[in-house]
Amino acid sequence: MAHEGHNALHDLLTVRGVTRRDFLKYCGSIAAALGMSETMAPQIAAALEGAPKLMPTLWLNGGSCTGCTESIAQVDSPDVATIVLDYLSTNYFETIMAAAGEQAEKQIEETIAEGGYIVIYEGSVMTGQDGNTLLVAGKKGTEILSEAARGAAAVIAVGSCAVDGGWVYGYPNPAEATGVQAWLNHEGITTPVVNLPTCPVNPEWIVAMVVQLLLVADRDVAAFVEKTEWVTRSYTDRKYGAVDLLMPKGIFGQSIHDNCPRRGHFENGEFVTEFGSKEEAMGYCLYKVGCKGPQTFTNCPVVRWNRRTSWCVEAGSPCIGCGGLNWVDNNSPFFHRLADMQMGDALGNVQPGSVGAVVGGVAAAALVAHGLGMKAAGRVGDGPPMEEMKKYDRKRLAKKGGDK
Amino acid sequence: MGSHAHYREAHPLVFVITHYINLICMIMLAFSGFYIHFPFFSAGFMGVARGMHFVAMYVILITLVFRIIAAFFVKTATQLGSREVDTDIKNWLPQAENKHQLFETVKYYLFFRKEGVISGKYGSLQKIAYLATIPLTFIQAYTGFAIYAPFMNAGIFASGIDMVGGPMNMRIIHYFGMWVFILFTMVHAYLANIYNFAPSKIIFLWKETLPEGKH
Amino acid sequence: MARAVIDPVTRIEGHLRVECEVTDGVVKDAWVSGTLYRGMETVMLDRQPEDAFYVTQRICGVCPISHSHASSMSTEAALGIEIPNNARLIRNLLEAAQFLHSHILWFYTLAALDFVSPINALSANIADTYALAQAAGTRVADFGAIAKRLTAFAENGQLSFLGGHYWDHPGYVLPPELDLIATAHYLEALEMQAVANEVVAVIGGKFPHPMTSVPGGTAFVPTEQKLDDILFRFTRLKDFIDTALIPDTLAIAPFILETTTYGGGCGNFLSWGVFDSADRDPYNRFLPRGFVTGGLTAEEVGPDDVTEYVEHSWYDSASGLNPAKGETSVNFDEYNVDNKYSYGKAARCKEKPAEVGPLARMVAAYVYEAGGKTLVEDTSVRTPKALIDLTLEALGVAGKPEVLVSLLGRIAARNLEAAYVVDLALMWVNELVGAIKGGDSSYFKARESFDGQGAGLWEAPRGSVGHWIDIKNNKIQGYQVVAPTTWDIAPRDAAGVAGPMEQALIGAPVFDVERPLEMLRIAHSFDP
Repeated sequence: MAHEGHNALHDLLTVRGVTRRDFLKYCGSIAAALGMSETMAPQIAAALEGAPKLMPTLWLNGGSCTGCTESIAQVDSPDVATIVLDYLSTNYFETIMAAAGEQAEKQIEETIAEGGYIVIYEGSVMTGQDGNTLLVAGKKGTEILSEAARGAAAVIAVGSCAVDGGWVYGYPNPAEATGVQAWLNHEGITTPVVNLPTCPVNPEWIVAMVVQLLLVADRDVAAFVEKTEWVTRSYTDRKYGAVDLLMPKGIFGQSIHDNCPRRGHFENGEFVTEFGSKEEAMGYCLYKVGCKGPQTFTNCPVVRWNRRTSWCVEAGSPCIGCGGLNWVDNNSPFFHRLADMQMGDALGNVQPGSVGAVVGGVAAAALVAHGLGMKAAGRVGDGPPMEEMKKYDRKRLAKKGGDK
Repeated sequence: MGSHAHYREAHPLVFVITHYINLICMIMLAFSGFYIHFPFFSAGFMGVARGMHFVAMYVILITLVFRIIAAFFVKTATQLGSREVDTDIKNWLPQAENKHQLFETVKYYLFFRKEGVISGKYGSLQKIAYLATIPLTFIQAYTGFAIYAPFMNAGIFASGIDMVGGPMNMRIIHYFGMWVFILFTMVHAYLANIYNFAPSKIIFLWKETLPEGKH
Repeated sequence: MARAVIDPVTRIEGHLRVECEVTDGVVKDAWVSGTLYRGMETVMLDRQPEDAFYVTQRICGVCPISHSHASSMSTEAALGIEIPNNARLIRNLLEAAQFLHSHILWFYTLAALDFVSPINALSANIADTYALAQAAGTRVADFGAIAKRLTAFAENGQLSFLGGHYWDHPGYVLPPELDLIATAHYLEALEMQAVANEVVAVIGGKFPHPMTSVPGGTAFVPTEQKLDDILFRFTRLKDFIDTALIPDTLAIAPFILETTTYGGGCGNFLSWGVFDSADRDPYNRFLPRGFVTGGLTAEEVGPDDVTEYVEHSWYDSASGLNPAKGETSVNFDEYNVDNKYSYGKAARCKEKPAEVGPLARMVAAYVYEAGGKTLVEDTSVRTPKALIDLTLEALGVAGKPEVLVSLLGRIAARNLEAAYVVDLALMWVNELVGAIKGGDSSYFKARESFDGQGAGLWEAPRGSVGHWIDIKNNKIQGYQVVAPTTWDIAPRDAAGVAGPMEQALIGAPVFDVERPLEMLRIAHSFDP
């Protein structure tokens, strides 16, 4: 069986003009992205070659900007990536598929009926206006997600919107967006969900997860979940309560700050204080202009973006923490070290530093005023006249003694 | 109150030393903490600031544990202006009579009451404030560790981070914790020295102030 | 009489429904519905202006750069900042890279499959394909290998993203050899659009959602190595545009000439203008501002000329407001083409529906050039009028620019614009190098004010984008976006006048209401 599969893929590779060397190199980069040793490359190749048939995939767009689709179009070495993606038979993929309308919707129905597929979900789950904030083919977006997820082997939630609602969930969340896991919890659907935040998703991570599913688990999702190293991040959705999110540890286990090429400048106290400045040209640390690298957990500095061309910090911008949960509320204002606290309509959004300074200032002023009061009351110096001794004081003194 | 004597029995040497350690560490923590929060000068200081911050916190934690244990063994004065001593913990923890004194003390400081309130070595409010610094120190240690890379993925810290809604919120809590300490220190220094500087003389210089008329 | 419906319209950004009433094979009436509401404008309230730069670009994953520029420009207008010249050049380069990315991706990946059948390409004769490529002046590839690759793909039995489509529709008229060439370039275009985005990544860190054009200038400071990376990639893109995109357009056009007879739309063209010149005058932008409503004249136009109507949209806020006073209060009712049927507001310019996008920009530029205006001093740059005249000549309709106002014209305009933009980009790289050599090291200007109102009017690849901001005490009090798609997919307004895409659909032939390929082509031509 595996042998036949091997031949089939080998032929496929050959006709697509991909050399074995290229392919193994690619498998090596996948291994690196997964945090595995590159010596695993041959095993990854074997897993890819051993699989008999393209895995059917539904790529669903929720309340999305299509940015995650755009992002996957930027993945490295398209020929090889195309194989991995062709390897997934993307039966439904709104942004690139040929069919439209009724013919497109039929693709979903048929895939669900056949089973054994995975769902890749991009964009927020739109529950506002009773689920009518997203309509596709006259159906609520939430219904489409539930139907597809119920029979899926696994769901990959790509991009922050799919993970927890992303910016759309930002206060006051007018469209009542939420994340895939929160919605599936609400619907009682237990299909495992792999979460890949950041806005948009880094395409290397999707590829890594897909290959992981094929490599480690031979398409067995239970084995995939068991054998991959995960971190669980938890948060509380304002509408659907506590949610636990499964994320691959190799990608989301370390902070950006710890892997940042500019970290040396942080330790040396060399900072950019103004954009587009001489300090920026020297690659100094962006911490003072609000970089959220210290509290954001992705391997962006290692994997980088757009075929390893660059990443946000290299271009001179502070990290805005798009890989964090509820990232807009938790990280804005992006140019400040700490996030604003939302104090409701009366006070608006307030910086913790301002709160600290105000409270400190008020306390100092109050102490000065109190001190003047104490002086005016004639207590300063010798202190006030003392009260008559009370019964309980006498009791204590009788027990302990003291200067009577 | 102010005319009390201040004897060494109120603050035995060992506690004068722990007080010094706490003071120095607090200053180091506040200074380096604000620098880490926002580097207000650029002089290759971040590494030093972080090192200082960690060392000072470990020292404070160790001192705190020592101080708590010592409270069960060292004897301190039971009363202001008294050489009568008892186990320190009894003078530190609020006692039954303090609950009658609590609101009277508040009233006194708000000028609703003329006479000072008789109490032990520490007033009711003072005891509460000093006790509160213990959990507060532990909260600062916990929140600090939670945003410190080598510890943040450990279960006990990771779950706390999730609970408060992410590392950013943990950072903000840690930051506010600092402000609580700053407020404490302001009020503490003010109230201790409002009548005269005899309390500072004993705690810093270990120099006794005798009752009026005696020399 | 029959109803033809496409829901969802695929190969676009976002979610769209198109419904047409078809009588005797011709569209008599049309309704275009945006079916997603997210509420960006509400999310932005009470945050800081710089946050809007980062977050509002996430409205669109295909044109985030234009949104980010419009957002920063609105803040700069509100706070009275003029960005340094180097920042202007860098933003132009960033925008140009996105235009090239978007146009290449749009033509090959999104729109081509309405005309090109990769399945039909299977029966191509390889030798004839080479001959055809040579005759058309388009670049060759290893057509034999690609044909084999396609065959393997088709024989595999799983058509993946090509599955389920009506490839047997008689609208697929290209010879198999041309299908094969276009398919080969489809694959190459995937590579080239990513190359364009590598420029975005160099300047802005990543694509989508680059990070550099912060209010006040750019965070990015170019080094020699980075400039070299940028120049090299633009050179590659120019090569691809000149040897594939343009020749392919000209090779396919003769087979689909009937598409010049429909799909024209409302005939009002709006361009806010894009690619700033040194004097920052929107009428002197390299693609200048103007509103063309017929004839060879362009009117002046500004932020106050915009109104948005919600009579047919799922909002209960007041209708007929200018975005500076705009409100967004969503209230879904039901889908009813006689009443409310879209989350899109009906944006109107001087009370008229207005088409936006490459066709509108090229029309405006053509009108200015015909009136004697010089768009670019550098004579090595092929200007819009030169490109359009050459194309008309190649198609045998020289001197008749009005044929551009059609489905084919809208497709061609996009590709011709790409040729213009890539020339400009190469010019700007050299200009930037010159400026840096001359000692100009200014990229950012910090703001001194914390209050103000302003509008940032700019162009995305797909059309006019405007951001309106109201800042008080460093906090956003009001934020409104009129996105390109808002203009084109606008529903009916208070007077019942149909939007640009609706008008473009009306009068179009539909061969088969069950497989409305022509409707799909028109919807795609707007790149909604």
